Amino acid sequence: MSKEINRLHPISAIITSAKALKSMIFPLIIIIATNGFHFSLNFHSDNFWRMIFLFGIWGVGAILTLVSGIVKWRTFVYWFEDGELRVKYGLFVKKKRYIPFERIQSLNYNEGIFHRLFGLVKVQVETAGSKDRKPEVELTAIHKVAADAIELEMRRAKSQVNEQMNDEQSLIEEVSAPTIYHMSIRDLLILAITSGGIGVVLSGVAAIISQLSDIIPYEEIFHELADFAKFGAFLVALAVIFSLIVAWFVSFVITLINYYEYTVRIEDEKLIITKGLIEKKRITLPLNRIQAIRIVENPVRQLFGFATVVVESAGGNGGEGNDKKITLFPLIQKQDCLETLEQLFPDINWTSEFIYSPKRARTSFYRIDFVWLIPIIGACSYFFYPYGLFSLLLIPLTIVIGIWQYKSAGYMIDGKQLTMQYRVFSRITFIMEKKRIQSIETTQTYFQKRKNVMTVKATVMSGMTGMTGNIRSLEQRDAETILSWYEH
Amino acid sequence: MRTEPIHKISRKGLTVWRLYGVLQTIFLLIVAILVCYGTYYYEWPSYIYFIAVAVVTLSAILSAYLFPKVRWERWRYEVRDNEIEVQHGLFVVKRTLIPMVRVQHVDTTQGPILKKYGLGNISISTAATVHTIPALVMDEADGLRARISELARVAEDDV
Repeated sequence: MSKEINRLHPISAIITSAKALKSMIFPLIIIIATNGFHFSLNFHSDNFWRMIFLFGIWGVGAILTLVSGIVKWRTFVYWFEDGELRVKYGLFVKKKRYIPFERIQSLNYNEGIFHRLFGLVKVQVETAGSKDRKPEVELTAIHKVAADAIELEMRRAKSQVNEQMNDEQSLIEEVSAPTIYHMSIRDLLILAITSGGIGVVLSGVAAIISQLSDIIPYEEIFHELADFAKFGAFLVALAVIFSLIVAWFVSFVITLINYYEYTVRIEDEKLIITKGLIEKKRITLPLNRIQAIRIVENPVRQLFGFATVVVESAGGNGGEGNDKKITLFPLIQKQDCLETLEQLFPDINWTSEFIYSPKRARTSFYRIDFVWLIPIIGACSYFFYPYGLFSLLLIPLTIVIGIWQYKSAGYMIDGKQLTMQYRVFSRITFIMEKKRIQSIETTQTYFQKRKNVMTVKATVMSGMTGMTGNIRSLEQRDAETILSWYEH
Repeated sequence: MRTEPIHKISRKGLTVWRLYGVLQTIFLLIVAILVCYGTYYYEWPSYIYFIAVAVVTLSAILSAYLFPKVRWERWRYEVRDNEIEVQHGLFVVKRTLIPMVRVQHVDTTQGPILKKYGLGNISISTAATVHTIPALVMDEADGLRARISELARVAEDDV
């Protein structure tokens, strides 16, 4: 067991500082903006001392963050001892953290631009208890060789625990981890084209615009817009369409970059996902932490026979932002998807022989929506007459979506497994094992009671909270079948 | 047709819920009086009087009388060896089934009003969800908590 002390690469000082500085830019903008860009280095100006004071504070803050980045790098050490990964850092307050290797759930790798220039990698060490979306230990930048050393050490420690399993054999295995999914360029393009990220980008743009409203003279722009409008609604529409196309293009590029070379491999009961063009990411996901699997088909992709597969995982951090849902296959042909999943999880029945919602329940999928729809339509038609009358189109739309939802609602029970299929807009097939379901709830409204149907909800653990599957209006007898299946 | 869970919650629970409704109505009444005063003083449109009266009356009828009654009638729970089943709801009847194996911990809580009536809430947490049985007689709630935690410990763990 090596006891040599390892350090982070010097680059990590820069990365840490740069990250901290990024969060300092916003205060700087505020300082500048609130002073209305009235800079003057004129000593006699009223603002002079105030400016010096504000910038001084900001400067001190910036220098402190820079120094703290360097200090963190200088003091940060890690080493392996007694089957544990040990980490120590801090100047005045020394922090030590020891993590036994067998407690480590996953090592996630992340390579930003800085990292790639120097052949480095950021390693996030995660245990089951990693709270607040933060990994237990984060090694900001180490050499790839060092990262491999950690992994090797971890394997060695684990295999020693497992009754001295044949060391060499398990070490050799790592080389030939079979690829189970690799996204082709064609699929990547389709994914990017149909990406739902447009909404995100649009709202981002809106947020930025509203942030900048102090700086940009909107009123003047609006005046110009008014003139602009005189040229005709056609031009306005053109401008709207143009900005939509730009937004779509941005999301297209972002998706391309994020999902480039998306590959899933399997290696001793763990899924390893690698992806990214500029920033390479590697996420590890132990199979036994997967709580449930969802196959999501959004209407456009369903049309072309494509689906997205998402796994719900317990605790920890997927490195994917807020939720603990991890996209397993971002885009896959439905047929291939079922075959691949069958290889991965042979115990699960992937056929879809659903018991559907009864015919008499059909109206209950859209009728309830009229409760809020009619007042809205009424208000629109009254206040925006005659154009408000177009809101009447919502009625057939709601009915069509309702019928679509009705056609998708179904369930299947097979041994220890429950499969729910339902639709909001996208069709979702939610596959869960009985032992992973945290609770099942049935609900029945007054109208459903008259039709003798019930809604069924099943919740599995996902991250720190839960993910609920929800089938509306199943036959009451079927709902009760699910409940008593769950009881035993 | 599945049978309903056996136990109802304490009759005193209904009283407490009515009390909550009365408190809410009193609060609305104070707001309404202020608004009416303002209407009189500043000569706002007179339909405001009607709205104020309607809101207070509705609150009195619904939240102090009807809703607690319906909710209390509907509330049922049952703790069996392998699972807990609860049923509740106002307009929508909800029935939840929680297996003992999934229970992670059980809490009892008691606010000042509940304490005066010797009642307590019991919350059952799984890894993903929290389920609360409200307004149980405190002894019963404590007993239930002890029983659930005992049963939950016996059942084997899987997550």
